[in-house]
Amino acid sequence: MASARGMTSNADDGRGRPLHRSFVLHGFILAMLVIYAAPIIGVILTSVMTNSEIAARGVWHIPESAALQNFADVWNDTPTPRYLVNSFMVTIPATFLSVLGGVMLGYVFSQFKFPFAELLFLVVIAGMFFPPQAMLIPLFRMFNSPMEIFGFQVLPALYDTVYPMILIHMSIGLAITTLLMRNFMSALPSGLREAAIVDGAGEWSVLFRIIVPLSLPALAVLATLQFTWIWNDFLWPLVLTRSEEAKTIMAGISALQGQYNVAWANQAAMAVIASIPTIVIFIAFQRYFIAGLTMGSVKE
Amino acid sequence: MTRGSRISLFLMAAGPLAFFAIFVLWPLAQSMWYSVTKWNGLSDPVFIGLDNFARALSDPNFIRSFENTAIWLVVAVTVPTIVGLLLAVLLDRPLRGSRLYKSAFYLPITLSLVVVGQVWTWIYQPDWGLINSVLTAVGLEDMTRAWLGDPDTALIAVILAWSWQQTALALILYLAALTTVPQDLIEAAAIDGANARQQFTRIIVPLLRPASVVVITLAVINTLKGFDIVFVLTKGGPFHMSSNLAMFMYEETFFKYRLGYGAAIATALFLLAIIVVVVYFRQARASERLYG
Repeated sequence: MASARGMTSNADDGRGRPLHRSFVLHGFILAMLVIYAAPIIGVILTSVMTNSEIAARGVWHIPESAALQNFADVWNDTPTPRYLVNSFMVTIPATFLSVLGGVMLGYVFSQFKFPFAELLFLVVIAGMFFPPQAMLIPLFRMFNSPMEIFGFQVLPALYDTVYPMILIHMSIGLAITTLLMRNFMSALPSGLREAAIVDGAGEWSVLFRIIVPLSLPALAVLATLQFTWIWNDFLWPLVLTRSEEAKTIMAGISALQGQYNVAWANQAAMAVIASIPTIVIFIAFQRYFIAGLTMGSVKE
Repeated sequence: MTRGSRISLFLMAAGPLAFFAIFVLWPLAQSMWYSVTKWNGLSDPVFIGLDNFARALSDPNFIRSFENTAIWLVVAVTVPTIVGLLLAVLLDRPLRGSRLYKSAFYLPITLSLVVVGQVWTWIYQPDWGLINSVLTAVGLEDMTRAWLGDPDTALIAVILAWSWQQTALALILYLAALTTVPQDLIEAAAIDGANARQQFTRIIVPLLRPASVVVITLAVINTLKGFDIVFVLTKGGPFHMSSNLAMFMYEETFFKYRLGYGAAIATALFLLAIIVVVVYFRQARASERLYG
């Protein structure tokens, strides 16, 4: 990251920059800090207040008693634990599978030339830009009916289970994972594969024994990004689930918003709970996360 | 290459590509077919040519949603770019506490838009929301209103909540790009007498052009996809005043069961996205040539 390198410092500071200008700049930063911190502080304050306190005094004050009661209530009286389990059941396999697919495609696209390779690659990575709305109706229909191949039912209708979300996120995720893995693997020293092949290794063992262990930074980037995006997704669970048994946490929040319209404190507690996994991932893997955002978008 | 190698590679590529074809490309193609049909989801789709598209052009709710998307795009290409860039340049120096500042700005991008929507309810809430509280405190009670329920302010309120997260994303991308700006270039300019503003407009902004292309592209794409925040905050209301194309598509499809019409709107969104992709790839190519 841009760890304090003092990009413009030598020109500005110490050269007698007018004081008022410095005020304006710091004022701007401060104003932005308030805009960024205020709503989050509001939610956190609310999550430890009682509903009667909110009704009487609003939320913009120091809580009378910082209580974790709302968290206990949300945990015990709403399907929040179930929602969280569902979110993990979608996010972990979909993240893993999309990264695995990206590793395989990235290897093929980075190491070999074959007819239409360039075109295929472009089609896959263009998937990053497809609005999900453009796939929404057919996928909704697909998962509402049993899956048949040549007239034989191979799968029951998967609507209102977590599986459609896994399949969809894994498939759409291939766009970014393939892009990053191809770019990363193209930059590895050439000849790694040839040497191993000469020694009698097959393609699968070249990929998983040699290339993948060298690609760990790229894998960390992708896992972090994919986890965050899939965890935070709302549209697919909204469309593809109906019951509490299948809803993810984001769909659950939205559903409860309608039901408990007044229970602000509980809503706030739920929003905090729902955000913890991605915040933890972000703090733990911040470096990879930011590298991923830049790599994924900057390099073609 | 040996025969075994070929088979392995074919399987390696065919597996993931099959998933991509079944769950991305095939549905995309089906959407295009549905967009030229009349279909309520129960009976079979009936081919009606381009009627859905003609109907959209005379549907005031579509036109409203389209205009709102256009307004949204204007904000999307300006606010995150300008605010994000300024903030990044200001934070990219030894400022006391800049690490802490940065964390405050990073946090929003880890949040789901569902949560962002909730978070902004705390700002807009009519009784005790932050804006109305502040207005009341400074004696401007006349200006308080239900920001999300008022037809005059609903759209801009939704767009601002969305921009809050998008600007944080722009900030991160710009901060990362700033690490690639060669230090000696700026020092040389400073020695030649360039002041801070000149350094900013003549050196930093042009060098960050590739990052700007990315920031703007992401903002445009996220605008087209933008559904979550509208759904959570207003569901497009009141009276479609804060609806956009993604929300309108959902409404027609899942509230009104006009699946053919919904597919037509989805196809329009897809075509808009494709335009963005083409422009982006050309820009990316151009800047790669420029900056090696």
